[in-house]
Amino acid sequence: MDCMRKKVNEEIKRGWIGSNCECPYHPAHFTHQDCSWCYCPFFPCNDRTFGCEVETKHGPVWDCTDCLFIHRTDVCKFIYEEIDRLGIEDANDTRFKDIFESAKKKYWKKGKALMVVGATSDAGKTVTVTALCRILHDRGYLVAPFKAQNMSLNSKVTLFGEEIALAQDLQAKAAGLKNPDSHMNPILLKPKGDCVSQVIICGKPFKDYDAETYYSEFVDEVGIGIVKEQMEFLKDRYDFVIMEGAGSPAEINIYDKDIANMRAAEIADADVILVINAEFGGSFGYAVGTIKLIPESDRKRIKGIVMNNVRGDPKCFGAGISTLEEITGVPVIGIIPHADVNLPKEDSESLRSSEQGSGPLIGVIKFPHIANFTDLDPLLLENVRIRYIEKPEDFLGVAAIILPGTKNTISDLNWMKEKGIANSVLKFKGRGPILGICGGYQMMGKTLDDSEGLENGEKKVYEGLGLLDNTTRFPSYDKCIRRDQGKLNIGDLGEFTGYELHMGISEVNEKPLFTIEKMFGDPEQEGSVREDEKLYGTYMHGLFDKPSFRRHFVSVMKNDFTENCPAKDYDASVEENIQKLADIFEKNLDMKTIMALLGVNE
Amino acid sequence: MSILFLGTSSGCGKTTVCAMMCRYLHNRGFDVAPFKASNLSLNSVATSDGCEIGMAQAFQALASGIEPDADMNPVLFKPSGDRRMQLMVNGKPCMEVNETAHADHGMLVRTVRDAYSRLESKHDVILCEGSGSPAEINLFATDIANTGLMKSIGVPAVLVCDIDRGGAFAAIYGTWRLIPNELKPKMKGFIINRFRGDIRLLGDSLQSMEELTGMKCLGILRYERLKFPDEDSLIISRGYLSGDDANEAFLLNLDTMISHAEEDGFDFDSLMKYIGLN
Repeated sequence: MDCMRKKVNEEIKRGWIGSNCECPYHPAHFTHQDCSWCYCPFFPCNDRTFGCEVETKHGPVWDCTDCLFIHRTDVCKFIYEEIDRLGIEDANDTRFKDIFESAKKKYWKKGKALMVVGATSDAGKTVTVTALCRILHDRGYLVAPFKAQNMSLNSKVTLFGEEIALAQDLQAKAAGLKNPDSHMNPILLKPKGDCVSQVIICGKPFKDYDAETYYSEFVDEVGIGIVKEQMEFLKDRYDFVIMEGAGSPAEINIYDKDIANMRAAEIADADVILVINAEFGGSFGYAVGTIKLIPESDRKRIKGIVMNNVRGDPKCFGAGISTLEEITGVPVIGIIPHADVNLPKEDSESLRSSEQGSGPLIGVIKFPHIANFTDLDPLLLENVRIRYIEKPEDFLGVAAIILPGTKNTISDLNWMKEKGIANSVLKFKGRGPILGICGGYQMMGKTLDDSEGLENGEKKVYEGLGLLDNTTRFPSYDKCIRRDQGKLNIGDLGEFTGYELHMGISEVNEKPLFTIEKMFGDPEQEGSVREDEKLYGTYMHGLFDKPSFRRHFVSVMKNDFTENCPAKDYDASVEENIQKLADIFEKNLDMKTIMALLGVNE
Repeated sequence: MSILFLGTSSGCGKTTVCAMMCRYLHNRGFDVAPFKASNLSLNSVATSDGCEIGMAQAFQALASGIEPDADMNPVLFKPSGDRRMQLMVNGKPCMEVNETAHADHGMLVRTVRDAYSRLESKHDVILCEGSGSPAEINLFATDIANTGLMKSIGVPAVLVCDIDRGGAFAAIYGTWRLIPNELKPKMKGFIINRFRGDIRLLGDSLQSMEELTGMKCLGILRYERLKFPDEDSLIISRGYLSGDDANEAFLLNLDTMISHAEEDGFDFDSLMKYIGLN
């Protein structure tokens, strides 16, 4: 505590500095944050709007990790003005309490929520929320994305070791936030097959549910409470919360049990805009049906319709738009043209082979439970083609094979053997690189020991592909969730970043592929590589994001080690595409109406 | 005797459902033929007498056990880029359509009506397929394949909806609601296509849809992983009806789809009644 007071004293003397872009940790919380009070002069404020007490082994401690109030420029400037006015020179001055109270009174206001729902899956909800997060961030607001309940196999690991959906991670980045967290996606459903999903709550595995029990038991008893709590949390800390619905909000069969759409809007007291993917056709039908099937009490929240992904001339909607507005009583507030933006995709419907072009062909095994296939997106920065492989004939002409992640390693291993795909993989050995990621990596080993029946229900030991001399066990329901960074043990020994998300532990008897660097403690070895046989295996998701491993993999595939054109950083490409998307939306969306819905009259 | 399969969107399965019904009736000894008034497609096939029609109708003709015929698809637009399209009428190139040059609507309506009458004189049952969604209110005035066809030949219709995409109830209700009131009595039923998951979750929502729209739910078709010729597939355009394996495979797949539909309690009887077969 004394050490902290000393730092605060330095900050008092130093005065206002604004954003400290020179600092190696900048921006620790969000782009353009004010860094004047790296150490908070109010700590511990004991105000439950901004933090809470947590138990540690040293007794209770005030935890305000998620508080952003002290990094608002207007707040920082106000504190210095008050310090000057009152002539405060020391961190222990009790008048800081008064400054805190007046700063809160003057600058804190409960956030306002706005929700984006879609007429279908793939309507463009995610991109709309992403664009809104960026537009509002660019206008200087603190914005958080929120999706009450997400069903997706593509997840990311937060700084705090929690698992959240990839879309909310992306949206948080669009909002300029450096540390997306599980408050933004408190309920995550990861389908395991047979209508059963693993339910992740606030980033941690909770329980497996089938669809029926999820709706009958989970939603009312647990779900609603979580959504309320997390929504309050975000509203306390952000100016705006931009919410994303799930699927269609007009599914009359589960309307009362649906906590991802209109019920979430009610909890958040949010206005709603409806997005429709015009490319499918039938937009008018979908718009009218969605709005009319929603009960009157909820319908009045719907304040705008957005026609998304419009190809051709927007004028072709002609008088249709005014007829639609007349029938529904809701204005059309945006006609967004089709945009060629390349952002990580969430749903498996979006899984497409990309065989255009002339580069070498990578075959990716399309497991029935394929997961985290966004790992492969950065490969499209290289001149390669990708084909999803579902049968032995699909191997024709491929120069490399990737066994991607899966939600059910053993069931997908069996599938691969039954289909004859396992055999084709073994035959391919030596001809080009074979890479296994996560579940695919586990399959490359000798044995998979599920004697507890935790992975696939049946208590059994399975034979792997035997490409690597490794054994994987599934001894408990625990899941390894963490973010890593470090260096490659092969090629140019360059850096990598990634994250691990897996059940099961592997005993590795191979040369490791990566060296994980730790902030505290010794480095760790991860993965397996046999360079002579071109075999690679790792638990590391996101391994292609940084250029080093990606270029190595592609160059082994091309048998060409001399390529030296500069490689693109995937994060930079995502950032570029977010901005492009935001620009298109800002130009074609009635932002005046959006701002009015958020309570800002321009 | 005829029916029109309308869809709530593009790609919802109109073509496949229509082909399945062609096959179902052909297998039961009926003389059936497919018909799509107007098609927008780059995938077309040549008939034996040197006319060009959309591939989907050739596939449905295969399912009906007959040779493709220009009358099955009298109007075909072939996009040639830059908002230009080649207009094929009765299987022959007619004109270049672009932003300034439009086809005469009256001529198209007459072409469709004449082709339909010729087809009707050759076959007992005509199964028609709509184009895109029938609820494009901006296109009502110029439509010839959906509500336009219902008006010109008085054919009854059923609505096909892809539930896998979500929003199926909204799509069915919204599409029905936008159909002009005088045509609503012709809207007989709806079909849920591509269903997967737990059927118990649907609860009594289908009944609510029947009450709301007055259309009967004809059934729920399961999500099929069967391969049918789709817009991107070129396979059927080669060696048509020459005993090619691909064609036999398509027919086998249709038979599988029919037996799945029967297992799942699809209401073929009501559909036959709407067609006018008792």
